Amino acid sequence: MSDLKITKLHKHYGAFHAVKGIDLDVPEGEFTVLVGPSGCGKSTLLRTIAGLEEASSGKVEIGGRDVTWARPRDRDIAMVFQNYALYPYLNVKDNIAFGLRARKFAEPEVERRVTRAAEMLGIAHLLARFPRELSGGQRQRVAIGRAIVRDAILYLFDEPLSNLDAQLRDDMRVEIKRLHQEMGRTMIYVTHDQIEAMTLADRIVLLRDGMIEQQGSPLDLFERPATRFVAGFLGSPKMNFIPATATASGVKLTDGTELALPAARPLKPGQAVVLGLRPQYIAMAGPTLAPGHARVPVTIELVQPTGSRVQATMPLGGTSIVAELAAHDVSRPGEKTEIDIDMTRAVIIDPETEKVL
Amino acid sequence: MTAKALHPDRNFKYWLIAPAIFLLLLIGLFPLFYSLVVSFMRIDMMDTDTSFAGLYNYKNLFTDDRLWWSLAHTLLITVIALPIELVLGLAMAYLFLERMPGRQVFIALLVLPTIISPIVAGATWRLMFDNKYGPINQIISWVWGERVNALWTINPSLVYPAIIFCEVWQWTPFMFLILLAALSNVDKSQTEAAEIDGASFFRTFRYIVLPAIWPVMAIAILIRGLDLFRIFDIIWALTQGGPGTRTETISIYTYVQGFKQFETSYTAAIAFLVILLLTVICTWAIRRMGLVK
Repeated sequence: MSDLKITKLHKHYGAFHAVKGIDLDVPEGEFTVLVGPSGCGKSTLLRTIAGLEEASSGKVEIGGRDVTWARPRDRDIAMVFQNYALYPYLNVKDNIAFGLRARKFAEPEVERRVTRAAEMLGIAHLLARFPRELSGGQRQRVAIGRAIVRDAILYLFDEPLSNLDAQLRDDMRVEIKRLHQEMGRTMIYVTHDQIEAMTLADRIVLLRDGMIEQQGSPLDLFERPATRFVAGFLGSPKMNFIPATATASGVKLTDGTELALPAARPLKPGQAVVLGLRPQYIAMAGPTLAPGHARVPVTIELVQPTGSRVQATMPLGGTSIVAELAAHDVSRPGEKTEIDIDMTRAVIIDPETEKVL
Repeated sequence: MTAKALHPDRNFKYWLIAPAIFLLLLIGLFPLFYSLVVSFMRIDMMDTDTSFAGLYNYKNLFTDDRLWWSLAHTLLITVIALPIELVLGLAMAYLFLERMPGRQVFIALLVLPTIISPIVAGATWRLMFDNKYGPINQIISWVWGERVNALWTINPSLVYPAIIFCEVWQWTPFMFLILLAALSNVDKSQTEAAEIDGASFFRTFRYIVLPAIWPVMAIAILIRGLDLFRIFDIIWALTQGGPGTRTETISIYTYVQGFKQFETSYTAAIAFLVILLLTVICTWAIRRMGLVK
């Protein structure tokens, strides 16, 4: 059974069309991440699921029940807000217990659940404090505690980590992933951060301009992007896009370099295409050329070490590409060398439709 | 240049503000002390005897039934009008919290009564309440279906509703405006979180909205409470304290004693009683409301 089913959902704000006919089906227990650049409608979509925004048209079903016109409190959801939205005049315990008491749980049960949630999140020692006395990370934990203390069908997260510093963000990300594994509940998570999306999601739903660009498992989207937008949005450093022309056996770059494609693609020779290469699938030339790889001479222009890896920038095919190389492989800038490109992973894009061929 | 010229007299600044201070003392503190002195004398406008009277005037306060009744009238108006203004103002503020077309225009129109001078409002409502020509009786007659001749400013059982109606009409917008500003500042995500948590309107109000708007609301209550304690214009315009002394408030009684009966010293004593009462109430209220930490 699916816990969330959205059918042809539209949301207008006056003349602005924020959500343009979204269909989404989230099975029970799945961690779904809605990701996209700012203004893509992901937060609006989440708020419409929560009932904080009214759908202009379409249908929202939660737990098999049509809740399109139900109030948020009647939707069986819990939500974590970007700015935590803790109740400033209640202490941590009362904050977490607020929803239970509002739903008339008996006090011993409230006590039991609050204690359990606080222990899960490691905030049991903070129960008597007020939100203003907590650090950002602690506030975030309380906000999550307030959500998980209830038995909701859906748990919604609206960019919960965006107000935290980088270190805390990494910690909390692990925490949220662990919570999902322990609870096994259906979670919908909104973020603009593609790393959060990749690491947390069972399924990524990539939104663009109020529509779903592509959805699937993180690896699916990473390895088999459907469009140039998806290919460019996921992955860090970004995918390299090189203008090229199709040939009988592969592609030809503007500088005349010919790269063979191991698998047959539906290309007409002479057709203009864009070649997409992930920086991770480019390596320094090894002793032997692996099958499906192409060896190209390059001059390294710029080197950015990131620790164990190095991001090297080099000109190729009239543009500048980035390769992520092993740190010990890299020589100094200006050096002429050869790289091996894994052409089995190459993505060929039609520049007209921006679709992957 | 001498050292003196480089470092002019440090006290010079005090000399500069001295005239202003002197003026303030003259028009502020002098009348206060003067009336305190007067309250211990035997001054009235009928007699040339202005001898020292000791606590004579203060002793009279305790046996003056009319004074205590006027105090009771004042409190009656305050305890009825203040909650009505507060609740109505809050309800209206909630109503206008949402964006809607024409919101600004409606708010401006609603605030109009507060801009009018209370004496003008009172005079206007006296005409509105006029038993023969006033529109109020006419409207009631239409609704009722037969001629109604309610004596709003004369009938003892109708004067208080009339006064409180005018008072509420004029000052609810004040509460409305202040509470609207306070409500607009409540973090919307907190009320949204409460909504998702399943909290009822009253629970959300009690635990989230009220604590957030309380400092502003407390000050509004204090200001309106003090204003109501000193209420004069509306009642003077509507009933002049009548019928008889039935709607005489403390301010009206003080005015009557001072400028109708010309009991100057006794009036000063009443004024000091009021100052004492207000000081006590204010201090208590400010502490109780937690306005001063």
